[in-house]
Amino acid sequence: MGLKGNAAIVGAAQYKPEKYATAPRMFHLEQVADLAARALADAGLQASDLDGLVINGPQFHEASVFVPAMAAEYLGMKLNFAEVVDLGGCTSVAMVWRAAAAIELGLCQAVLCVLPARMAPFGPDEDPSWMARAMRFGGHSTAFGAPEAEFDLPYGHMGQNTGYAMIAQRYAAQYGYDAAAMAKIAVDQRFNAQFNPEAMFYGQPLTVEQVLASKMVADPLHVLEIVMPVAGGAALIVASKEVAARARNRGAVVTGFGEHLEFKSPSYADDMTRTPVGPASDRAFAMAGLKPADMHAAQIYDCYTITTLLTLEDAGFAPKGEGMRFVRENDLTWRGNFPMNTHGGQLSFGQAGSAGGMSQVIEAFHQIAGRAGDRQLARCDNVYVSGTGGVMSEQGALILQGA
Amino acid sequence: MSTNKPMPAPTEISAPFWAGLKEQRLTLPQCQACGHWIFYPRRHCDRCYSHDLKWQDVSGSGTLYSFTVARIPTLPDFADEAPQKLAVVELDEGVRINTTLIGLEEGEIKIGMRLKPVFDTVNREGDTLLRFTGIDKDVAPRRFDAPQAVEQVEEQAPRRQIRVDDAEALHALVSDEFTAWSNQIVVDQALIDEFARLSGDDYWIHTDPERARKQGPFGGTIAHGALVQVLMSRLKVPFEHEIVGFTNMVNYGSDRLRFPSPVPAGSRIHSRGRVKAVEIGKRGTQLTLELNIHVVGSERPAVINDLVVLYM
Repeated sequence: MGLKGNAAIVGAAQYKPEKYATAPRMFHLEQVADLAARALADAGLQASDLDGLVINGPQFHEASVFVPAMAAEYLGMKLNFAEVVDLGGCTSVAMVWRAAAAIELGLCQAVLCVLPARMAPFGPDEDPSWMARAMRFGGHSTAFGAPEAEFDLPYGHMGQNTGYAMIAQRYAAQYGYDAAAMAKIAVDQRFNAQFNPEAMFYGQPLTVEQVLASKMVADPLHVLEIVMPVAGGAALIVASKEVAARARNRGAVVTGFGEHLEFKSPSYADDMTRTPVGPASDRAFAMAGLKPADMHAAQIYDCYTITTLLTLEDAGFAPKGEGMRFVRENDLTWRGNFPMNTHGGQLSFGQAGSAGGMSQVIEAFHQIAGRAGDRQLARCDNVYVSGTGGVMSEQGALILQGA
Repeated sequence: MSTNKPMPAPTEISAPFWAGLKEQRLTLPQCQACGHWIFYPRRHCDRCYSHDLKWQDVSGSGTLYSFTVARIPTLPDFADEAPQKLAVVELDEGVRINTTLIGLEEGEIKIGMRLKPVFDTVNREGDTLLRFTGIDKDVAPRRFDAPQAVEQVEEQAPRRQIRVDDAEALHALVSDEFTAWSNQIVVDQALIDEFARLSGDDYWIHTDPERARKQGPFGGTIAHGALVQVLMSRLKVPFEHEIVGFTNMVNYGSDRLRFPSPVPAGSRIHSRGRVKAVEIGKRGTQLTLELNIHVVGSERPAVINDLVVLYM
């Protein structure tokens, strides 16, 4: 089972995260073309090399169906492989393995994985309040017959904060809770962001005291433990060995992946504190023939500090119930013994919709390629990347290795 | 309670569940093939996929699986429940239910505690939600035959009198601290409709609940900002001082007037204030009061009004 290591990430592009109010407005098709051109330039490849596309279906501005065909036509691509992914924050990780699998099956040679996440210009007849309407219920469906519309929304269960908070509360009841250790996750990542001029919180260091003094949103989560939504967008190119040989960067070879989902609301999980990233990571490590201890860096999806904590445990970096001790006893900064979210994580980099998770994949690629600037790790051949969508409902893991 | 809260729309599949709640019963489908209990209602067993299910009444007793206290309303319409005690309850039959806890203080809530159901009828039509409380608690049902009770401010001790020409005492009133909250009043659709007629502002976002639910950004109608602003006259802010020794007092207008958040129809509002500035001049004494009106439970004001009062 699995990949043979014949596909690698060879190029990437990412908009600097910006506040929605001041970010440029671009059509999603336009963003896709712009990001594609930048990623090709980054890889040192030609437009004619691309013959695969993986794109978001949901939240694509100019179409809700036939998205790949519209994008292929707009860009001028001839595709042998087209795919949409609808896995929230897990989308980026899921895109990469789908692209790698398609390449290894011989369907295609170079795949553009792209997630536009700047807002589009308003049309002349467009009612700007659609955004407010769309945002009102977070990721919750209001459709007739949608279980969450009928059984969650009337009670005020909506958005992401309270779901993650309830997971953290359950964890606390089962294993204990150290608020300062949780704050340290955000603080160590903020340290990393001080070496990343692209990060939203570059130039703004943070202390544990500041995190603990910040507003409580939903017990036990403080506002500084919660990701900030920003405008952005990202793309990367996954290519076959043959194409990768022509690219100008050291490739990040996809040697393992896994994916797992069982529910939308974590309330229905067998055990709220054992998350789907566990089975996803087990599969990824087994496929790559590596162990957590073999990793030189971990780029762990961090919409909330609790997401990171549970991934550290469930992926096998720390024993179950000992994640907070692990955080206390290890230096998670890029200078430390356990480099994690070396770009600042989304907590400090910013979360551009589902493209937020691509920041973690791109950072893994940059570290492997030796292009991480002031925060470059001395040695970085093996990197673990995770993705999380919904409320720890859709999770995936990648193992990337230097070519 | 805000009338814009999302309400369940029962389907053919779930109808017996909601009908049961109206009759103060909890009924759930149980798989006749494997015995598995099913929540939320489906036509199949989510363990063995059998379609041989039977509705059965259960006691509703269970334990608290997890909870959180939401310090920021998950939707502005839930401000009246703030802080919301959102919970996952595991029934003795094994199913988990997303719900809210009522009749429990924050300190009393512990994961693993025993709970019992509260069949909470939320409107005149009898729509009933399934909430939970402590096994030893009693939660009185809501009543819809009488107008909603309004919390009254306790009769205050005599207020400190300050003469309108006592510059030192007046300047000492200026503070960053707000007073306690005023009494509360309900801004319902009838009041909004009256104001629409009076002012001529009958924009649908205020007056057409059906259209506002479907097309509006707030899931229902909201009060006019101007209406909420003038309702200040009905909100008694408990300032500790009283200005005396003047012949005339006039409302001189506002230095700043903002409507930062909506007031959904059916919301309760209250107010608090502070003395922002004092100026003593030839015309008289001028007090600038910052008077903020909030939906009860909401930290973000619905109205910010820097009101200038002139004493002559």
